[in-house]
Amino acid sequence: MADLKDGKTTGHQWDEEEGFPLQEYNNPLPRWWLYSFYATVVWAVIYWVLYPAWPLADGFTKGVWEWSMYKELKQDLDAVAVKQKPFNDRLEKLSLKEIASDNALLQFAVSGGKAVFGDYCAPCHGGGGVGVKAGGFPTLADDDWLFGGDLETIRETITNGRSGQMPAHLKSAGGAFSDAQVDDLTQYVLSLSGKSKDAAAAARGDTLFRGEAACNSCHGDKGDGSLKGTLAGGALPPVGAPNLTDAIWLYGGDVQTVRESIAKGRTGHMPAWGNESASRKLSPLQIKQLTLYVHSLGGGK
Amino acid sequence: MIKHESIEKNVSLMIVFTLVAIAIGGLVEIVPLFFIKSTIEPVKGMRAYTPLELKGRDIYIREGCYNCHSQMVRPLRDEAARYGHYSLAAESMYDHPFQWGSKRTGPDLARIGGKYSNHWHLAHMEAPRSVVPESVMPAYPWLRKTDLKYDDIEKRMQVLSMVGVPYTAEQIANAKKDLLDQASATADASGLTKRYGNKVPKDDFDAQSDRVTELDALVAYLQMLGTLVDFSSYQAQTR
Repeated sequence: MADLKDGKTTGHQWDEEEGFPLQEYNNPLPRWWLYSFYATVVWAVIYWVLYPAWPLADGFTKGVWEWSMYKELKQDLDAVAVKQKPFNDRLEKLSLKEIASDNALLQFAVSGGKAVFGDYCAPCHGGGGVGVKAGGFPTLADDDWLFGGDLETIRETITNGRSGQMPAHLKSAGGAFSDAQVDDLTQYVLSLSGKSKDAAAAARGDTLFRGEAACNSCHGDKGDGSLKGTLAGGALPPVGAPNLTDAIWLYGGDVQTVRESIAKGRTGHMPAWGNESASRKLSPLQIKQLTLYVHSLGGGK
Repeated sequence: MIKHESIEKNVSLMIVFTLVAIAIGGLVEIVPLFFIKSTIEPVKGMRAYTPLELKGRDIYIREGCYNCHSQMVRPLRDEAARYGHYSLAAESMYDHPFQWGSKRTGPDLARIGGKYSNHWHLAHMEAPRSVVPESVMPAYPWLRKTDLKYDDIEKRMQVLSMVGVPYTAEQIANAKKDLLDQASATADASGLTKRYGNKVPKDDFDAQSDRVTELDALVAYLQMLGTLVDFSSYQAQTR
């Protein structure tokens, strides 16, 4: 075309139209664009030299800086380990009681324990150990304990886990008692915390509790649990049988839930975190920190 | 020097250069796959999934768990602190397809196995917010009410063995028995542990001893995730 000011056409023309033919320009690229493009090509070559880049038959080019994510992770973790070492060394050396009496060290341990608790323990025990809505997971922020709230017992619980076994009592669930008897037991258990509305049934349940059903062999003669309770002529086994006389319930304190606990039984399971065979393992140091954190939640003995 | 004009005006030359360009891309992507053995670090402990875990994995995929959960612990400090050792290629070598994912709405599940009790998984699937108040996960209450369909389990294992999962004839022949044994707290599991090792998680996962439900399978799968590799014997390659 005659009025083309700069640049040329390739000489190719798509149509035959007179006056305004459709032609292909062959303008030079803008300089800024062209030089940027060359710069990226040069950068690519520099990158191949410095960083991991090309796959090879049995590996890849590692680059002269030998950068790797795995190395970077190790450096990160090592840097933290160096900072924590003075504290961790003392945590490892001192006993739980000694740590608890050293305020600065205790603060460090509790912060570490809190981080571990948030991911490992909170899903069952609730954030801060305040418990969850679902039944079967004990609250850790109160002073009602199943196995014990002193430092050594808490550590033992975390390390080796716990199992709670409440047997089924109803005949159809594998137990030895009739529907009416289970109702009586339910009323008696409710009466222990003043919630029974059927005194006659509760009285029949009272007899069963210490007689045929032998509930007292775990929950104690007064029904106040294997930790606090007593058993005439014997010792209560440390089985974590809950105190039935207070307002704290592991599965729920309404009639239906208590009846279901008695009828079908309950199985509680606290995983073992320090056990060699445990598939998830926390280090003894982490368990120490966790113990001190749980102890600090409000109910530590 | 070749001008682009001469390429554009010469069809045969254009074809040759196009093929060369595509071949480079193809080689870079495809060739390493032929050397996959050297890109997967050998580790101790990896095994093929048990029949029950395999069915659980199918349910995991059916319910779209991967839409919110990844299975890939990245080599980052926060993930190492939260989830443990970063994921290895070998850990998903029997996954077809792998479940790495990248959408991390929920926590990573690559090492969820053994972290929480079966009872927790039960409560959590039934009503997630009954245990984790801030959770946005939907509830999956039907899993515990739906019987597991597993009449095709042998066929599934056969197909997987065709693509490289090392199921033995004995494992395939005993698939149904192993599946039922793993979902029971009381069954004799000597056959199961002989075929899959004694770390296999075994329990009446859904707390219903009279039936095997989809929840049994899913929890069995979750309780196995990330527990297979023996990290006490693992030495990271210098890379």
